[in-house]
This record gives sequence, structure tokens and C-alpha cells, in this order.
Amino acid sequence: MTAAIAAHEWRRLRHGLSFWLLLALTQLLIAWLAFAQLEAFAAIAPQLKAGGSTVGATDLVVMPTANSLLLLLLLIAPLLAMGSLAGESHSGRLPLWLSSPTGSAAIALGKILGLWLGLLAPLLSACATLAVLGLGIDLDLPRLAVAVAGLALVALWLAALCVLLSGLFDHPAAALAASYGVLLLLWLLDSFSTGDTPWQRWALMPHVEPLLRGLLRSEDLLYFVSTGAAAALLTIHRLDRRRGLA
Amino acid sequence: MEPVLRARQLTYGRPAQRRLDAVDLELRGGDRLGLLGINGAGKSTLMQLLAGVLVPDAGSVRVLGHDLHDDRVDPRRHLGFLPQQAPAYGELTVRENLAWAGRLRGLAGAPLGRAVDSALQRTGLGDVADRLAGRLSAGMLQRLGLAQALLHEPRILVLDEPTAGLDPLHTEQLRTLLRALPGETAVVLATHLLDDVQQLCDRVILLDRGRKVAEHAVDADSDLLAHFRGLATTGLT
Repeated sequence: MTAAIAAHEWRRLRHGLSFWLLLALTQLLIAWLAFAQLEAFAAIAPQLKAGGSTVGATDLVVMPTANSLLLLLLLIAPLLAMGSLAGESHSGRLPLWLSSPTGSAAIALGKILGLWLGLLAPLLSACATLAVLGLGIDLDLPRLAVAVAGLALVALWLAALCVLLSGLFDHPAAALAASYGVLLLLWLLDSFSTGDTPWQRWALMPHVEPLLRGLLRSEDLLYFVSTGAAAALLTIHRLDRRRGLA
Repeated sequence: MEPVLRARQLTYGRPAQRRLDAVDLELRGGDRLGLLGINGAGKSTLMQLLAGVLVPDAGSVRVLGHDLHDDRVDPRRHLGFLPQQAPAYGELTVRENLAWAGRLRGLAGAPLGRAVDSALQRTGLGDVADRLAGRLSAGMLQRLGLAQALLHEPRILVLDEPTAGLDPLHTEQLRTLLRALPGETAVVLATHLLDDVQQLCDRVILLDRGRKVAEHAVDADSDLLAHFRGLATTGLT
């Protein structure tokens, strides 16, 4: 049933105009940013070569563009997720779900996976644009692959978090505002202080940056898996509470 | 005969603002129970509690002997619910909406296809099966909601103001559909229209400000109008 709900959610997203607008906008911005970085790289490439620098197109073109892609995902995810549970509630369709014998776990996981598919579309199309650059310049493909896998993991984490926040509200606009608020807080958390403070471990960027550099660290994987799983469990609990099953 | 639905002391809302206060009701197979009350009497709250959409603050709902909130059995599979606002995905066709409602209720494959075809036929939506739900009239949308509620052939049908907002023609069409339901299906129907109760129900519960104030058999002699006038008068005072 989870797969069926994910497919339904993915179809619901594809039927919306906002999905295609966001996809087009992401593609346009990533293409523009990638070619701007490429132009800058082409201008300094001879000096880098003459100086024997090991820094290449992957560092100066692909990774900065992947950073921008992350920012776009942070902006897109709440927009796509706000229609998830809050949208069902606002449009009067939530009773259809709550009065059905489908389990809360299947509903929550299906919604998360469906949203993840929705986020993978702009992610993969942008990554395809970056990969096309490999036809003309030397790219570190293994590092690129780790960065893409890292972004896919971040997208799944975002889906879990945004569906949870969508489930806490009955109006999509409230869910959108809450999602942006939480993501902004997680994004800026490490800017509030220096040194190893407890809340810095909750900050998003210190865990994302290594992935975008092509570095796989267990602590980063643990961060995304544990907080993402916690968000999914809380969504299930929230649905169970609404139905009186918890 | 054992009741298929039994609600005991159903209570919802904070003590100072009770939306429903210690309501009891029982429904046996084939019963047609009407819930009559003015706006704000607690009809929709009671409907949502019976359908498992809301959780009571006190009391219980038992469906075929099982607590509605017992997830090991999940009696929701025996319930069909039509909320006040028929739930539909405007971007999907009527057939796709029905197929999705069937999937949510555990139907799949050939049985799902048969159930969808049967629901389309019973509710007269066959001609618009491939039309987007967002382009349906209010009457058609209400029929789609009813088709979704009937799809899995539930033992109990919970209908929240099914004729609200419909023109006389669509109202009559919907009443005809409800009269044609299988005899063993128990129906509980919330309405503020006396005609709905007189034409569709054999028993009626009168609700006033969240309380059950009376229960009557509906027959040719029952003077529902007098009871309802009494409610409206007390409700306005």
C-alpha cells in the first residue's frame, strides 16, 4: 500500500502546475549557474594549469552548482510538501484517508516517498545538466556520484521533515511557513556560535557540506537517517493520534 | 439482532464548549437512522466520531462488536463515510477517484475494477466516468462521494448531510439512490431537512446543542415538524 500511496502522491504532484514551474525554474537556474561557473573556470584554467594546481572543474564548477542545487531543494521541498497532509485536510479529503482501514504507517511513508520522487525529478534533471559538462571537461565522476547520492539522501530527509510539518497543520500556508521556519533554523544553527556546541550538531550545513564535496562520513549519514526516521515516526504517531489509535 | 454500530456516551469538546455530550445510539443491520438538528447541533461531529475521523474525549464506538479505535481488527473496513464535503481529487477523473478510494479501502486488481464499475453504475456516473472530478456539478460530486462510500460494500454507511446544497432534481436523484441501497446496509444520515428523514429513515434522533433530546420512529403519523420547531425554538433562545 505504501508504494500505491507514493505513486498516487507522485501523480498528484505531476498534475499540479507548480511542480512543472518549479522543475523548469530549477533547470533554468542550474543551467545558468553551471555555465556561469564554467565561464569563470575557463578564464582561470590556463593559470591553474601553469601553476600546477590540482583544483579542477569538479571543484570550481560542479560543487558550487551542487551547493546552489541544495539551496533550491530547501526552497522547493516545503512548496511541494504543503499540499501533502495539510492540503488533504484543507480540501476536505483527509476524512477519506482517516476513515479508511489503511494504516498510518503506510500513509506517512507513502506520502514521504511520493514527495521524494517529486524532489528527485528536479534533482536528477539538474544533475544530468552537470553530467553533460563531462563531455567537454574532465570531471571527477566518483565525487560527482557521491554528491548526487548525498543530495538524494538530503531530499529524502527533507521529504520526511516537510511531510511531518504538513501533518501538524490544517492549512497548507501554515505548513509552508512552519517548514521554511524550521529549515531556516537548521540552516543557520551553526552560525549562532563558534566551537562545538550541542546545537551545532543539529545544524544542517556541517552535515551537508562534506557530502557535497564528495565525502561520505558516517556521522552525516547518521544525522540524516536518524532525524529523517524520527520525522517519519512522528508523522505516523500524529496520524494515529488523529484516528485515536495512539 | 446484535447492533452493527453502538455508540456509548460519546462526548467531544472541552467541558465549557461541548460539541457533543454523552450521546448514545445503536444501529442494526438494515436500520435507517436519521440525525436531525439545527446548525451547530453536533450532527457533523457525531458523524465524524462514528466514521473514526475524530476521536471522542469520552465514550466509545463499537462496530460489529469491535472498538473503532482497535487497530488490530480495524473495523473501519466495514464503514463507508460520506462527509459533508464530498472528498475528490479535482485533477483526477471520476473513475480514477473511485479507483483510489477503493485502493485506500484495500481493494486491488480485478475486484477493484468490478467495484468501480458497479459503483459507477449504481450511482449513475457511468457517462461521466472519464470526466475530471473538478468539472463535475455539485450534484455529480455528491454522487461521486456516495460512490466512494459504497465502493467496498460496507455494512454501515455514515452520511453527513448528503443532500445539502443540491437543487431539487439532484436531491431527488440522490434520495432515489439511497432508497435503492441493499436492505442489510445500516445507514445513519445527518440532515437538517425533514424531507430527508421522512423519505429515507425509519428512526430519527433529535440533537440539540450536542445532546440527544429525543428518539422517534418515523412513520406517516410522526409529527417531525413539531419536534423540529421545538428544537429550533429552544436553539434560538
